[in-house]
Amino acid sequence: MKKVFLCIVLVSLVLLSFGKTLTIWIGGQVAELDETWNSIIKVFEQKYGIKVEVQLFGFDTYYDKLVTALQAGKGPDLAFADLGGWVPTFAEKGWLEPMEEQIKKWEGTPQIWPNLWPTVTYKGVRYGLPWYTDCRLLLYNKTMFEQAGLDPNNPPKTWDELVAAAQKITDTKNRIYGYGVSGTKTEHTTLGYMMFLYAAGGKLLTDDYSRAAFNTPEGLKALKFYTDLAKRYGVSPNAVQYHEDDYRNMMAQNRVAMSIGGPWSFPLIEAANPNIVGKYSVALHPYDSQPASVLGGWALVIPKTSPNKEDAWKLAEYLTSFDVWMKWVEEKGGPMPTRMDVCTKSKLANDPKWQVIFKTFPYAVARPPIPQYPQISEQIQIMVQKVLLNELTPEEAIKVAAENVNKILGAK
Amino acid sequence: MREQKIALRMVMPYVLIIIAFVVLLLISNIVMSFSTTDGNFTFQNYKAIFTDNVFYKSVFNTCIWVLGSVAGQILLGLAVALLLTQIKRGQVFFRSIILILPWATLDIVAGVMWKWMYNDMYGVLNDILVKIGLAKDYIPWLATPKMAMIAVIVANIWKGFCLSGMFFIAGIQTIPRELYEAAEIDGANAYGRFWNVTIPQLKPVLMTTLMFTIIWTINYFPLIYVMTGGGPNYGTETIVTYIYRLSLRFLEYNKAAALSNILFIIVFTIAYLFTKKMAREVAA
Repeated sequence: MKKVFLCIVLVSLVLLSFGKTLTIWIGGQVAELDETWNSIIKVFEQKYGIKVEVQLFGFDTYYDKLVTALQAGKGPDLAFADLGGWVPTFAEKGWLEPMEEQIKKWEGTPQIWPNLWPTVTYKGVRYGLPWYTDCRLLLYNKTMFEQAGLDPNNPPKTWDELVAAAQKITDTKNRIYGYGVSGTKTEHTTLGYMMFLYAAGGKLLTDDYSRAAFNTPEGLKALKFYTDLAKRYGVSPNAVQYHEDDYRNMMAQNRVAMSIGGPWSFPLIEAANPNIVGKYSVALHPYDSQPASVLGGWALVIPKTSPNKEDAWKLAEYLTSFDVWMKWVEEKGGPMPTRMDVCTKSKLANDPKWQVIFKTFPYAVARPPIPQYPQISEQIQIMVQKVLLNELTPEEAIKVAAENVNKILGAK
Repeated sequence: MREQKIALRMVMPYVLIIIAFVVLLLISNIVMSFSTTDGNFTFQNYKAIFTDNVFYKSVFNTCIWVLGSVAGQILLGLAVALLLTQIKRGQVFFRSIILILPWATLDIVAGVMWKWMYNDMYGVLNDILVKIGLAKDYIPWLATPKMAMIAVIVANIWKGFCLSGMFFIAGIQTIPRELYEAAEIDGANAYGRFWNVTIPQLKPVLMTTLMFTIIWTINYFPLIYVMTGGGPNYGTETIVTYIYRLSLRFLEYNKAAALSNILFIIVFTIAYLFTKKMAREVAA
């Protein structure tokens, strides 16, 4: 009898100690900054008396890992989710706990950039708290501009200037290229096309996300120009094989002068070549009829199966608080906070590179926050690839892609 | 009779584990493939597969991928095995360098390595070709669907020939020397000895190896995933890479389950035909 009692006590102790431990899964680029996470989490543990276990995942493995865990009902208490359509997709599957009530009450809510909310909303209910964000810009190599006789402080602003500058830099014989066009069968290609689509005044889907909206003269113009950069003007390395991450590494080696990049590129390009510090910069991406950018970033979500939902929200709130973000930015210099007050009050406000980002951000659009987004994105990738491979003309490819997207969305 | 009983008992634990981990999962997969997302019975998932153009494309690609890889692996494996059995000094050294090294390389590492070798900005393959004058300019190996398919098949042949090579070495060593001596006395040259002694004697091993490599190649995923991700366009999309994308990219678990079952039936049929034929030959 005594033994049984002892067993019960031990088991309940173990269960209790488990119950008090909060698990958070961190993915994406910030997962590499583990010592900062530890110091921030330690303060939370002392303040609330809740033990937190931090688990960090590299970007490549995180999505598969998270999806498998959520599908099995074995997720963490708090998790990072990419703003590129993950939150509504997971919400549709019933994997997430709604956060609408807490977000409505929270005093930090008015400080979040307003164009971020659609990315975490599913059927009018918010399921995530955006934590950090970014927007896509033109990343360029100043040294290569100088060598080609271009002004490194005056990067191209329009599509015509982009072609002119890129052609001046390109030297195919020595495999030096002006602009990197992403054409792989990955998300990068969709993002690349979207930059040009919105810059031409087009848009991907209708405002209610019910059907394709890129099969317009603007969309065709964007597709033609995007693929022509590689095919007609020949200013890009073989586009079907590379995307912006590859181009960033080539830029670090002075092989590609311009490509799409953003705040996350700074530490990565400097890691690829420490000597490039100060010799690269960002600018608003060249546009045709209107400035454009695509935003990205990560939100905090609470899986439905978490037994500690209240504590999880406390942690989410703490991580997104003004003080934690100020500390983060002072120490790390990035990524871009989702809080406007941190953007204007921290040291970022004085950095010219960040000023470009803050100026561009209000133009930034989100990827359609709908569960069908991954399939739609694939249709865009196939469309760009078919044109790059000369299998279809831009006119045919855009028609096929729009038909397929409408079929995916169930539109007539 | 007693020996049979002991053998049965010793095999039993393994059979139980197989039932637990394979048969049960298989059943849950079959159930999933006939369910809607709400759990109702439906044929919709199979219908969706058979009306999906990407499915036919992936079946076609799988055939090319298997045909090319298996032919290459068997032929190269046989050639290497014949050569290696001739080498008497330093056997261990040559066998480990030639046969163990590619096979022991991790799939992901091999994929990344080949991807970089094929690269058209820095790739070593292009560098060598240009330096010895075979190519004028750097060739983008992975940039068109057909070239990419050839490129992944070549990489897979390198990765997989070692296994068939090892099987063949083991097989060749069991061939009695007397057969060769007799053939030599009858006046058969090296070519004749190969066709009339080595090949017939090696036939059981050949069949087993063929079956293994075919099934493995159908199910082999990492190399394509790392090198091309199924692209460009749908150029190297095989059934397994498509299953992966259906489930983990598009979260269409039920459709992925349906396709997995179709693949299972294909693989099972191949294995069944081979084992039946082999059993008949052993009996004869």
